[in-house]
Amino acid sequence: MRPYIAQRGKVETVFNSIDGVPSEGLDSNPIPMSCLITDDSSLVRKIARKIFAGLGFEVDEAENGQVALQKCLNRMPDVVLLDWNMPVMDGLEFLKSLRRSEGGRAPAVIFCTTETDVDHVQRALANGANEYLMKPFDAESLIAKLDMVVTRR
Amino acid sequence: MPQEEIDKARTIADSAIATLRRLEVPPTPANYAIWYEYHAGMSPNLQRTIDVLISNKAVFDESTLQDLYSTFFSSAKEAQAVRETSVRALQTLQDIAGVADFAHHDAQAFGVTLRGLASKDLGETLDNLRSLIENLVLESKRMAGRSEYVGLRMRESAGKIEALERNLEDAIRDSSLDGLTGVANRKSFDAAIRRTAGDAMNSGDDLALLMIDIDHFKRVNDTWGHQTGDAVLRHLAQTLQKAVRGGDHVARYGGEEFTVILPHTDGPAAVTVAENIRLALAREPLMLDLTPPLTPITVSIGAACYEPGDPLAEWVGRTDAALYCAKREGRNRVQLN
Repeated sequence: MRPYIAQRGKVETVFNSIDGVPSEGLDSNPIPMSCLITDDSSLVRKIARKIFAGLGFEVDEAENGQVALQKCLNRMPDVVLLDWNMPVMDGLEFLKSLRRSEGGRAPAVIFCTTETDVDHVQRALANGANEYLMKPFDAESLIAKLDMVVTRR
Repeated sequence: MPQEEIDKARTIADSAIATLRRLEVPPTPANYAIWYEYHAGMSPNLQRTIDVLISNKAVFDESTLQDLYSTFFSSAKEAQAVRETSVRALQTLQDIAGVADFAHHDAQAFGVTLRGLASKDLGETLDNLRSLIENLVLESKRMAGRSEYVGLRMRESAGKIEALERNLEDAIRDSSLDGLTGVANRKSFDAAIRRTAGDAMNSGDDLALLMIDIDHFKRVNDTWGHQTGDAVLRHLAQTLQKAVRGGDHVARYGGEEFTVILPHTDGPAAVTVAENIRLALAREPLMLDLTPPLTPITVSIGAACYEPGDPLAEWVGRTDAALYCAKREGRNRVQLN
């Protein structure tokens, strides 16, 4: 299994290599991308971890915004998958704090929530979310969003 | 207004109308304004929000559309954008009137009517656009009868607007309910299955789906006529609604096929609900005075549970496969996948 490589752009390339189709010209010593899954649902964390790990990500988890913020201040991940409704600190509060922190503009933040209304989407984007994924998600829909934030940056 | 700008406005208007159709959005003035603005590309925030909704396969139901409008068209900040949109929307209408000016003198009268309409103060809400369109359709119909000089472009436009009107009526009528049976329609099912599966993914709770198909429905229609067929559909819909709990979601999936979404329900419990439906149909059959008498109506039912992380289409596919299996095994039975 090869690590996820940001500079290759499309996730599809790496996905093919996982399926056994060798991707040509990959860096011989790539640094895996890191991802922080922030969700109070252990089931969601488990499903997302499996998908990210399958792509070669280095995966960490947080069960609320406060834990996630501590982990980010310790070391900024490349991607944050972010739930909205969580105890202690919710996703939007986390995002606002993250973007104000030193180096906090770097991670690509993908909101991942059951909130589907215009108001939530609009507030997420206005506060610096890079993408917005509505639950339920599966490997394909998550990778499509990942693809967007990787190619866009 | 320079020809170049007219062409641009027309292109945007055409794209807006095409998108409304594709997304099955009722072409009300407010919705037209939203998609005109979306295609005009003047409001990046509106564009990004709509792109998120589309990429997540969100259903553009009435409340979503209202929220889009109130979020992006009601605040003072966006008022300018709306004014511009309404001006541009009217310019496309005036463009049509412009073509008429060069036609027969009947067409000139038509053009005058349009310009009269267009110069009215519309405010910032575009609420009058619909009546404008209505008048335009009316006028263009009158025109078609009297003049041979109506330009091709104008006829195209009038046809497009008329189709828009028809869609509007259709869309409003069946926004979330099935017109024949009164239960939720397919669009409502699509939204409900996403909502309930999202909740189940968060909570880890069970979630089951039933697909219910009337056995030999074609024979009912062929033997006793479509009115009887419709009565059978209505009777099944009522039976389903009586058999389920408050949080369950009954929908007509299409044709003679219905669905029931069952939150907090595992496979064996879903089979129990399905068996209750099957038995209720046998216990309380549809009573109609027909010659020959109506044969007993039975259903085949497929059931399957949601696996969080799997695509929704896969789940629906498994339920459908179970239904197919129940049919193949002789009908009037329940099959769990």
